[in-house]
Amino acid sequence: MAKNDLQGTLDLLILKTLDQNGVLHGYGIVLHIQSASNDLLRVEEGSLYPALHRMEQSGWIASEWAMTETNRRAKYYKLTAEGRRQLERAQESFDQLVKGVRAVLRFA
Amino acid sequence: MSIIRRMSNLFLRSRVDREIDAELQSHIDLRTDENVACGMSPEAARRDALVRFGSRAATQEKVAAADTALGLDRFWFDLRYAARQLRRSPGFTITAVLTLTLGIGSNTAVFSSMDAVVLRPLAVPHLDRVVTLFEQQDRGTSDQTTLANYADWLRESTSFENLAAYSAADMSMTGSGDPTRVSVALTSPNFFQMMRADAFLGRIFADSEARPGRDAVAVLNYGFWQRRFGADATICGRKVELDQRSYTVIGVMPKTMQYPAAIDLFVPLAPTAQQLSDRKNRNYFVIGRLRDGVTLKQAQAEMRTIGERLAKDYPATNAGWSVRVEPLLARINGEWTPMYYRLIMGATLFVLLVVCANVANLQLARGVSRRSEIAMRSALGATRWRIVRQLLTENILLALIGSFGGVIFAAAYLHILVISMPQRIIRYIPGWSNTSLNGRALLFSLGLAALAGLASGFTPALEALRVRPLEQLKAGGRSSTGSRGSRLRSLFAVSQIALAVALVIGAALISKGMFSLLHIADAYQPDKVLTYSITLPDSRYDTPQKKAAWYADSLEKLRALPGASHAEVTTALPHSDDGWVRDCEIENRPTIPGKYQSARQISVSPGYFDALHIAIVSGRNFNQGDSLDSVPVALISRRLADLYFGDQNPIGHRIRMGGRDSHDSWVTIVGIAEETTYDLWLDTQAPVVYLNMAQHPSEWATFTIFTEGNPLALAAPARKAVATIDAALPLDGQMTWRQNLNESLTGLMYSAGMLGLDALIALLLSAIGIFGVMANLVGERTREIGVRVAMGATRQSVLALVLRRASWLTAAGIGTGLVMAFFLARMVAHLLRGVRPDDPLVFITITLVLAAVALGSSWIPARRAARIDPMQALRSE
Repeated sequence: MAKNDLQGTLDLLILKTLDQNGVLHGYGIVLHIQSASNDLLRVEEGSLYPALHRMEQSGWIASEWAMTETNRRAKYYKLTAEGRRQLERAQESFDQLVKGVRAVLRFA
Repeated sequence: MSIIRRMSNLFLRSRVDREIDAELQSHIDLRTDENVACGMSPEAARRDALVRFGSRAATQEKVAAADTALGLDRFWFDLRYAARQLRRSPGFTITAVLTLTLGIGSNTAVFSSMDAVVLRPLAVPHLDRVVTLFEQQDRGTSDQTTLANYADWLRESTSFENLAAYSAADMSMTGSGDPTRVSVALTSPNFFQMMRADAFLGRIFADSEARPGRDAVAVLNYGFWQRRFGADATICGRKVELDQRSYTVIGVMPKTMQYPAAIDLFVPLAPTAQQLSDRKNRNYFVIGRLRDGVTLKQAQAEMRTIGERLAKDYPATNAGWSVRVEPLLARINGEWTPMYYRLIMGATLFVLLVVCANVANLQLARGVSRRSEIAMRSALGATRWRIVRQLLTENILLALIGSFGGVIFAAAYLHILVISMPQRIIRYIPGWSNTSLNGRALLFSLGLAALAGLASGFTPALEALRVRPLEQLKAGGRSSTGSRGSRLRSLFAVSQIALAVALVIGAALISKGMFSLLHIADAYQPDKVLTYSITLPDSRYDTPQKKAAWYADSLEKLRALPGASHAEVTTALPHSDDGWVRDCEIENRPTIPGKYQSARQISVSPGYFDALHIAIVSGRNFNQGDSLDSVPVALISRRLADLYFGDQNPIGHRIRMGGRDSHDSWVTIVGIAEETTYDLWLDTQAPVVYLNMAQHPSEWATFTIFTEGNPLALAAPARKAVATIDAALPLDGQMTWRQNLNESLTGLMYSAGMLGLDALIALLLSAIGIFGVMANLVGERTREIGVRVAMGATRQSVLALVLRRASWLTAAGIGTGLVMAFFLARMVAHLLRGVRPDDPLVFITITLVLAAVALGSSWIPARRAARIDPMQALRSE
């Protein structure tokens, strides 16, 4: 459960990042999450890329090779329509989780 | 489709690997660039980027796995989780799997049997395009036609790829072992091409063999080849003698080509020129294959036109006859077999439905204790869809295990079905011996399993969706989903009991009816009678004198056998369905137009009435003085006297069989015999005209030898005695009269047996159903019962509380079931003779049994309720 759950959170972070920034490569996603969370969250590359590929296979995001500003080839990701829907679902489920955990903590 | 993408990724692993490698490399390069931009040396920048990235090989592997995963991991996870959950409640799992095994197994078996017998009795390509053609007269039908008509149809019609003709004949086979009676089909050589059937061994007929003189070749039916020749693989080239003519065996047909039914072997139809122009003798069956694109309707329309033209051209022989085209399958199956099968299949599917309801019911009962688990999972982030999928997976897993058991169950069931059917009957049911658990049946059972899994998982899944995680967690697993769920469960239990009542009563009525049929002829002591039948071949017994002499001789020999008290011959035994029902005419008494007078014509030996204790009510019996040279005489049954003579004394009147154009002779009525039933199935009996075998010797007859000892001990002596008169004459089916009767009832016994099994399963299910509901009720009300006990309620009153509820459910179920049973009984009584729809004994007994079973199965939960310890029940909060 717990592993699934953390994975779900990472997915949510990636989806949200792409939703806000449009098109980004993996490195860009890492940087964005780090800065947007005031350095609280650091995404491991070892988790990021499997997650990106899994999400692409699920049809939530699409990818394309393109050149960076520094003239390097990189793989860029962007949200699909299905990914947008998934983002909403994931957000809702995350809210529920937080509420549930809070409730449990309050009662304990 | 992502699944297709992932599958193609599986095969393009090297390309996928290269791409991942490039992506990861670009990540490292980007960080290196940035490090350099921040002022690091290229060397340090690179090292830092690599260190931050971590194990590149591991990441590469994980990414590749994500690309090729196929999503199976989640399915496996669900499956493993389901298996763990099921292992944790073995009682539930075993019950559910067993009921599913019975439900799916019986359905698979019935389907296989139906598939083999009704849907595909012959393994002929495109059986649905094969039709029979026959002529029909204004009144009555015929299923045959003449050779000249066949030739015209063949020449003029365009709807058919091929038209074949055959006629059937009985011949005696000699020259290998005891003489036997064999059924022969004389077929045009194109018969096999039309069927698109080839020989299993050897070859089929060549066109040249359809000419007189070159037609001495025979193709054997598979079953006959096995029975008679022990499946001898070197049979081709062997000589056999049919009606004293020598034939060479050239081939054996495959097992799946048992058509025409009951045919032992095929010989070519080699018509003479005279036969070819014959328009009188309607002795030929015509069977054809529709040309591609031609519908049955078009073929029927074309044949009607041809028939009308023939009727105009040959009014003497064809006027009043029209041509009909019918699917062969309808002809093979007849009217009743598909209906019996539909009845049984319907009942069996219904049982499966109840099985599903039952499993759902048990799941719901378990659901109470699983609410916390579900709430916990959804709090931890599982989506609703995921939880529903998990529950459905669990049910499908159950159903799959059930269908595995079901297939084993069905295999055993079919094995018993096939081996217990007498060989003599199998010959008449094309397809019976093909019965097997084939791919279609396995597919069917898998489909059923999936459906059953979904159907039984649906309601519990819906229930699960109604679980509110927050409230459930707060309530600590106590809250119930309210009255809706328990109402649903009660409804399930009530309908299960109702169905069980209806099915068990139906099956009991049928078994009782069947039992009465098995004993229908007990008055005649059929265990003490040896029967067999004979056919006198036309070639050697071409005059009545020869036949009568043979009958007289053989009766004399048989009566001399030690132990035989009577030896008689007849063309029909009581309840045998034998004997012709023919039009009859009374001399000097015109028949009323539009009203047909008919009677069953039976030839008997004079001692027949004595042996069967049929009283002669008035007049005289046949005697030894009646012969071919004396006045032909008849006895009539009492019903015939009442029906056609009224108050008049029939004795002395003359009667003639065969209607207006009959060539039969007038016979004088000399006596009236007590009424005797010759029908097996119908309640309406035809009146009987008995003729003396000495004056009207028939071609075919049944011999009966009455004895005080074991009748089968007389079989060999009887065979020997008859052989002294004519050694080439086969005795067909030597067995006791009881065995003979039982064989004709086999089909009915099968139907009754299958329905009985359905009823037993339904009974079991209703017990499980009410048990589930009551156990659940007690589980949900543990706290309330605890309070009651704490407040001073006695064990007895708690027991009564639970049992009262069970009684209500049982009463409602039985009430509904009795109404259903009432209608079912009426329907069944209509279909099967001997079934009385208003048998109070059956209705009362079954009601009591059902009530006892239902209340008995609620006893365990009731006892548990009575034993609830108030302290524990309250503390568990």
